[in-house]
Amino acid sequence: MGYRKLNKKQKTMSLSSYNIMKNKIILLLLIISNLTIQSCIDGEQYDNTPQGNFEQLWTTIDEHYCFFDYKNINWDSIHTVFSQKIETSMSNKDLFEVLSDMLYTLKDGHVNLISSYQCSYYDAWYQDYPHNFDEDIVNDDYLGKASTDYYTTSGIKYKIFDDNIGYMRYESFANDVGNGNLDEILEYLAICNGLIIDVRDNSGGTITNATKIAQRFTNEKLLIGYIEHKTGTGHNNFSSPTAINLKPSNSVRWQKKVVVLTNRRCFSATNYFVNTMRYLANVTILGDTTGGGSGLPFSSELPNGWTVRFSSSPILDADKNQIEFGIEPDIKIDLSTGDTMNHLDTMIETARKLLNK
Amino acid sequence: MKRNNFLERLIGEFLFLFLLIPQQIQAQTDTVKTNRYIMRTMMYGIGTSNIYDSYLSPQNYKGIDFRISREAMRFTKRGKGKVSSQNFLQANFSYTHNRANNNNTISGLINWNYGYHHQFPISENFKLLAGGLLDMNGGFVYNLQNTNNPASARAFINMDVSGMAIWHFKIKQYSFVLRYQLNIPVIGIMFSPQYDESYYEIFTLGNTSNIIKLTSPYNQPSLRQMLSLDAPIGHSRIRFSYLADMEQSRINNIKTHTYSHVFMVGIVRSLYLIHSKRGKPLPPSLRVY
Repeated sequence: MGYRKLNKKQKTMSLSSYNIMKNKIILLLLIISNLTIQSCIDGEQYDNTPQGNFEQLWTTIDEHYCFFDYKNINWDSIHTVFSQKIETSMSNKDLFEVLSDMLYTLKDGHVNLISSYQCSYYDAWYQDYPHNFDEDIVNDDYLGKASTDYYTTSGIKYKIFDDNIGYMRYESFANDVGNGNLDEILEYLAICNGLIIDVRDNSGGTITNATKIAQRFTNEKLLIGYIEHKTGTGHNNFSSPTAINLKPSNSVRWQKKVVVLTNRRCFSATNYFVNTMRYLANVTILGDTTGGGSGLPFSSELPNGWTVRFSSSPILDADKNQIEFGIEPDIKIDLSTGDTMNHLDTMIETARKLLNK
Repeated sequence: MKRNNFLERLIGEFLFLFLLIPQQIQAQTDTVKTNRYIMRTMMYGIGTSNIYDSYLSPQNYKGIDFRISREAMRFTKRGKGKVSSQNFLQANFSYTHNRANNNNTISGLINWNYGYHHQFPISENFKLLAGGLLDMNGGFVYNLQNTNNPASARAFINMDVSGMAIWHFKIKQYSFVLRYQLNIPVIGIMFSPQYDESYYEIFTLGNTSNIIKLTSPYNQPSLRQMLSLDAPIGHSRIRFSYLADMEQSRINNIKTHTYSHVFMVGIVRSLYLIHSKRGKPLPPSLRVY
């Protein structure tokens, strides 16, 4: 392959093919750039009007909410009913009220509409049931004074009762728990005959904290549930379930009996925690059915800037059953009026008896 | 059916571009030293950005874009000296706001392009360049209000077709260079969660199915184009550029776009590399230390 001289005809042909190739390259770039320019990818931008905000909210829920079929909700008919309540001249507060009412039909504590002056919140999942928790009795008659009677770390209050039962009160899974904190708590409580974990009135937080605590109560890897996610806009477009396994902590682990106290206000990450703990060998769930809230919530927004939160990925139990409406306890018990009048917490007292057997 | 025909044509054109170019290369002039000249530019820019990511919000976010880029071009020994290489690295940071102006996103992207162009001189002062680039990208979009879907990761690698036109001209005794470049991704891979899949499910539970997807102009119709003018100012050559960075994707039913229009400025430097053989020192007249 050396340099060779071209005759006049070959030079002409070479020049010709050279020009053809240049033209083809230019054509190719023009074709692709034309394709690119014409293919703008965008979402529908609704107007910032009462109608536009209504349509955006309805569409967001329609395309992303994950419990339509489970809850047997006809979202199209909801559109028909509530679109008639939207008026061009309505005030922001009236619009907020109508949109909130529409979201309440989802019966979901994870669904909120948030404006600068109000946050809508469906609360029938606990308001229509006995509270089963008296904060004053727990604080005054069981925990005592923070300075002398109990310890607190990472949002967990803990102490040893007179009958040698350990007590942990965790009020919110939003309080981050460190592994070092859990080591300290469990080492302090190690002498106890059993442990009460009180998560009543705990309305959730992060799953990571729930997992971190539950890992202290198992010696083996355990299937505790599944998670699904939506794969498209259809109400039934779900992925195949992904297994959620609980792995044992490689630090201090509790080997004795445990009672977890629950009420209707155990929601979201607390519901997840209770679902996890109920699969563990030495654990008894005692109290009332939890409040549920098994959908992992996502956020979106409306043209006027209001934020909407909704359940998008359902978490199932280990038998692939929904736990959106709560988890029943192993031992169902309510606070008795007589105990409350005597400054006793029926659930704590029952748990102590159970653990001292 | 129309789309299939179009794709077949597109693939055909692409193969033609990359397979036939080497055969068209003919005798060259002496290129022994041309590959040692490097045009290197560092540029700084500011512009606007329009960001949409349906994983985070159905709203467009608009705001300001800050950008920095570094480019090096040189001839190579490939194609008997008719092929030049381009090394282009850019990083941008955007701060954008929703229509109601009550929420913000911050986003950033690092983009590295490396590839080759075959140069087609049309006249002494005007030439066309055509070739291909490896186009690697990594970044994020972070929505300041969202809860379990606060951020969207950007990670994609493309093979781009690239074209360039360079025109040297003079106004009075001053010489200028006008350049236009267009890069278009034709095939690649991209990371994307599924439609409503949480990053918790991907990274904590390890469900990585369908998160790496093949891309083409059908699901990632994007382009980057740059128009620049090199002007002599004092003893320096200053480059003024307009960069249009139009990135779009439609993967796993998640739609995204980032439209950035940025004006950039920087200094052009022409360097000549001197290689010393086997570690032998350069002649004293060339050494700076």
